Amino acid sequence: MGLIRAVMQTAFWKDRQKRKPLGPRWPLLLFHVDTGGCGGCGMELQAMASLPYDMQGAGFGFVTSPRAADVLLVTGPLTRSMAPVLQAAWDAMPNPKGLISVGNCALDGGLFSENYAVMGGLERRVTVDLAIAGCPPSPQDVLNGLCAMLGSAAQSR
Amino acid sequence: MDVVSLICAGEHTQTHWRFRLDELAWRDMVDLLRQDDLPFVGLWCDGEDVHALFLPDGQPLAATLRLENGRYPALSPARVVSSLYERVIYDLYGAEAMWALDVRPLLDHDVWSASAPLSAAPGRGGQHKGILAFQPSDALLAAKGRVEDVGPATGSAVPPFYTRLVLSGGVVANAETQTGYAHRGIAARSRHARVEDACRLAGRVAAGSSVAHQVAFCKAVENACGARVGTEVALLRVALLEMERLFHHLYKLAALARLAGVHLVASHCMALREKLVAQAAPVTGSRLLMDVCTPGGVSLREASQMGDLCASLYELGRQAYPQLALLWREYPGLAVLLGNVGRVQADELERIGLDGPVARASGWDCDGRRMIPAYEGLWRYTSGRQDGTAEDRALLLLDEVEESLRMLDLAAARIGLNAGGSTPLSMEDGEGIGLVEGPWGGVLYWVRLAHGRVAEAFCRKPETSALLAFEQMLPNHAAADTALLACSLGMNAAALDG
Repeated sequence: MGLIRAVMQTAFWKDRQKRKPLGPRWPLLLFHVDTGGCGGCGMELQAMASLPYDMQGAGFGFVTSPRAADVLLVTGPLTRSMAPVLQAAWDAMPNPKGLISVGNCALDGGLFSENYAVMGGLERRVTVDLAIAGCPPSPQDVLNGLCAMLGSAAQSR
Repeated sequence: MDVVSLICAGEHTQTHWRFRLDELAWRDMVDLLRQDDLPFVGLWCDGEDVHALFLPDGQPLAATLRLENGRYPALSPARVVSSLYERVIYDLYGAEAMWALDVRPLLDHDVWSASAPLSAAPGRGGQHKGILAFQPSDALLAAKGRVEDVGPATGSAVPPFYTRLVLSGGVVANAETQTGYAHRGIAARSRHARVEDACRLAGRVAAGSSVAHQVAFCKAVENACGARVGTEVALLRVALLEMERLFHHLYKLAALARLAGVHLVASHCMALREKLVAQAAPVTGSRLLMDVCTPGGVSLREASQMGDLCASLYELGRQAYPQLALLWREYPGLAVLLGNVGRVQADELERIGLDGPVARASGWDCDGRRMIPAYEGLWRYTSGRQDGTAEDRALLLLDEVEESLRMLDLAAARIGLNAGGSTPLSMEDGEGIGLVEGPWGGVLYWVRLAHGRVAEAFCRKPETSALLAFEQMLPNHAAADTALLACSLGMNAAALDG
């Protein structure tokens, strides 16, 4: 399956910096797709977007359309029904773009390994720019992971 | 003859509350069910038989029918929610329900690697490529108006499902959903699994109701073995169930406020929830209370601190709750906005079998906690407004937050320094059921054990009926209210798809 190829190249950061400098005024915009999990990672993402976590202050925001997103954030094991949806979301995103997996299921399937309905995780199928493990990872874990990614990207500029 | 007598007149099985019927008796049962209000729990298949479970007076009663050439008479003409179970059975086993109300696929949309994957001889995989094709009913096809699609990827935190709306005059004229996007094959994974592994799967049917699924599964396994956990373990499980209800209701109240555009109230709900969750996680070992139960006991990181945890949660909640309740009840516009949407009648909910807070806010007095001995002295009947609107449901959730806090306070004194733990089970072959009141209603597991492992398992959850309620409620609402209605009814595709 020609699922999502490639991703947050080094060029991503250069191109993005020209258009949108990093920081709270120019947040990195995330489009979340639950590809078929229990919903736990989604709940923790919602918690991260709420008090007392300052996600926006750290330079991130969620959007409701992939066309407005910089990064595709995936939770849950990849079901065969959701794979084309994920591909469509990826295709709709403008370049440059990146891919983040949150939770064990999104990375390697977790408890939901490959079967008749599930393809497993994104690992070994695509290049993932940032993988945040956990079942589910806490909001602080996710925020730390995102900040670490931004920090390392800023350093590599 | 009534339905109970008809079923009990069937052939006895090794399980004292399950009886085998022949096809004629099964058909008579369906006919009698049209006039009988016997509470229907669910319908499932094990490849050779179909089983229908009822709960007369809170006690299990099941009818079993051998499949004839892969077919059986449908129950949906008498119990509308059975339609969803029949569609699942066809998708997983290829068994056809004769005279069924709806024969469209529910989970398998021609993309799986095998059709009828749980049958003895699975078929070829689906040929469909690309995004799933929607299969509308004849009624939706005939509806005139502008078509609007919602999902399955909306960018929100909810599990994926798709809704097609047909709009007329600015409001929804007709609507249907498509599910199956989050089907992970939990039934297939539970087959021949060790009970501990199946319990971990049960805890991940739907986050937010994890403890309810774990406890119901554990009780079913313990009943199948003929084992009983001690009162200490039962009390710890009650404390966990009420913690989950507390966290869940605050999360849902925040979601409802956010969808109503009242972000300040949403922030207060989430801030309180986060305080409570952060307090509980070091003791329970999981923020979302996953993997806290195991057949025969509980599995907590610091079980001896559970009493202190209950007391501290109560104290935190007691300080913040009055202000939160006042804010929710008096925030300008919130009551009017929620009070004008999502009205549903108790008799309609009873017809489709949707219990839990949705039913209680409509005036249907149903709460599984009154049947659980460990709740004795903790649970008490509470009633609020019962007009069945989204506002009534939100206020009921708010009341239940206070109730759960009160129960945790009472439980704290009883738990003391009890360390809980787990007792090994004898793992004899047999069948059992376990029922608990989850955050959105009754969660029931039926489990058959064989050779020390799970042979088959079936799960009844309120989200199945919530799908029917959601589809029926959408007409005459604004398209913009779709997510609010789904949230208010407890729609959860992760639980539904399983």
